[in-house]
Amino acid sequence: MDGFPDLGTGIGLRPPHYADVAAGRARIDWIEVITENFMVEGGNPRRVLRAVRERYPVVLHGVSMSLGSVDPLDERYLDGLAALARETEPAWISDHLCWSSFGGHSAHDLWPLPYTEEALRHVAARIARVQERLGRRILVENVSSYLTYRHSTMSEWEFLGALAETADCGLLLDVNNVFVSARNHGFDPIAFLDGVPRARVGQFHIAGHSDKGTHLLDTHDHPVCDDVWALYRHAVRSFGARSTLLERDDDIPSLDELCAEARRAAAMTAEADRVGERGVSPREPVAGGPGPSQGPVR
Amino acid sequence: MKLSDTQARFQALVTARDSVEAIVARDAQARASVEEMVVGDARLSAVDRLDVYAGMYFVRIHDVLAQELARTAAVLGAEAFHGLVTDYLAACPPSHPSLREAGARLPNFLAGHPLAAERPWLAELARLERARLEVFDGPDAAPVTMAALREVPPERFGLIRFRLIPAHRLLTNRFAVSEIWRSDGPGDAPPRAEPETLIVWRRDVTVFHRPADADEARWLPALAGADGLVFTELGASLAGRHGLVGAARRAFELSALWTAEELLLVSD
Repeated sequence: MDGFPDLGTGIGLRPPHYADVAAGRARIDWIEVITENFMVEGGNPRRVLRAVRERYPVVLHGVSMSLGSVDPLDERYLDGLAALARETEPAWISDHLCWSSFGGHSAHDLWPLPYTEEALRHVAARIARVQERLGRRILVENVSSYLTYRHSTMSEWEFLGALAETADCGLLLDVNNVFVSARNHGFDPIAFLDGVPRARVGQFHIAGHSDKGTHLLDTHDHPVCDDVWALYRHAVRSFGARSTLLERDDDIPSLDELCAEARRAAAMTAEADRVGERGVSPREPVAGGPGPSQGPVR
Repeated sequence: MKLSDTQARFQALVTARDSVEAIVARDAQARASVEEMVVGDARLSAVDRLDVYAGMYFVRIHDVLAQELARTAAVLGAEAFHGLVTDYLAACPPSHPSLREAGARLPNFLAGHPLAAERPWLAELARLERARLEVFDGPDAAPVTMAALREVPPERFGLIRFRLIPAHRLLTNRFAVSEIWRSDGPGDAPPRAEPETLIVWRRDVTVFHRPADADEARWLPALAGADGLVFTELGASLAGRHGLVGAARRAFELSALWTAEELLLVSD
């Protein structure tokens, strides 16, 4: 998709690795940073970001834009984001399809939206406003979710597709989130991937999760599991090469270990290239399909 | 159901003091509202699914606060700190997009909380922890150096206007909480009921704090103001306490100390 070049494989910048990444010791193509961690006035975070930016392409990935909230968009937040973008010159900016504030209260979580026509119009208008304010298209990420609203009238992938077209934005497809939500709601993750407009997908996320018995939780505290790798392989074959980022937020391994895990994504993309499979969307079995009919997830 | 209604119901349930399960157990209308809004299944009921979000809301903020106010949390112990955060979130829900700001009001809230009755110094310890956090990523500035001051002609030195770097905090305490900064937890002796002024600041990327002496306690607030302080004002103000010669010497001592600590800016 225009504006979202394939940067290769990246990792999320987290405090234990600040010094090493700032020194250029990450054997990786690009770096994604949590926007809000660097929307501060100065000190070490901004210094680290400047150093990282000198060595790697950087993407700003936010968690607090609250695109789905019925609260007014936070103009001060957008001003801060625009200022950070001017300084950082990120390859692109992304945030989540969710809401995280209501009545002026911030949840610091990624709460799910009902997939309705009203929500679609509301979020699309806000994305358009954000894109106008930032002077660029953004990527919007699907979140892991743990509930379904009774009044939703479309699937999540139908909503994402319609949203991308209406708002003229890109999509950040989090493959782990697809897998987690598929298990939690009992849909087919392949149907999700196949239902998303390919031309709109600008980036992939991969990550680990936790199995809580009754549901999967998007904890980013484990390596990517085999089932998510299989789903990722399907995504690469289906969508083609896209910038891919490994997220890890807890029990963070060494930088070398993290980068090595991330590079597995590059190997899968290269493998798909070798066998000429990209873009053909083979429908091979992928674990993580319908859950409820199979009983509790273990 | 309208989007605004959905969000109002969801947030009220997920951010409440009690679990969603506890709320619907005593409120049939709330149960009906949940069932109307959320789909449940054999694995997880609608209530359980909302409680996943309720748990994540609390744990995420609790864990950040426990990390930011690690000493305060250690003094209180896990159970009491959990209770404090529960009360705090009910009274002061986060209102800033950055999670870093979620604990901004906690020291003042703690000062009025029943937990502070046993340890009236605890809110001051929390305030010190919070100040260190705020200074850590406060605004950058280029502090004046000794080398730069040596370049100033003697006849102009008295006219130099100093002010404190922006990445600082001045704390006026009723207790000498700096004494217990290295405390490992509740088993240690409480701080003396001895008033102290603490200066907290960042030098390069490292945060420091120390008690200010009587002269500093008087003048650091003036240096913290937007207008700062002219060097001759500093010397003149110290004359009553140190005599004219002693005041000049003391003014040089303090300006040298603050410069070495990278606390000072020179205003035009």
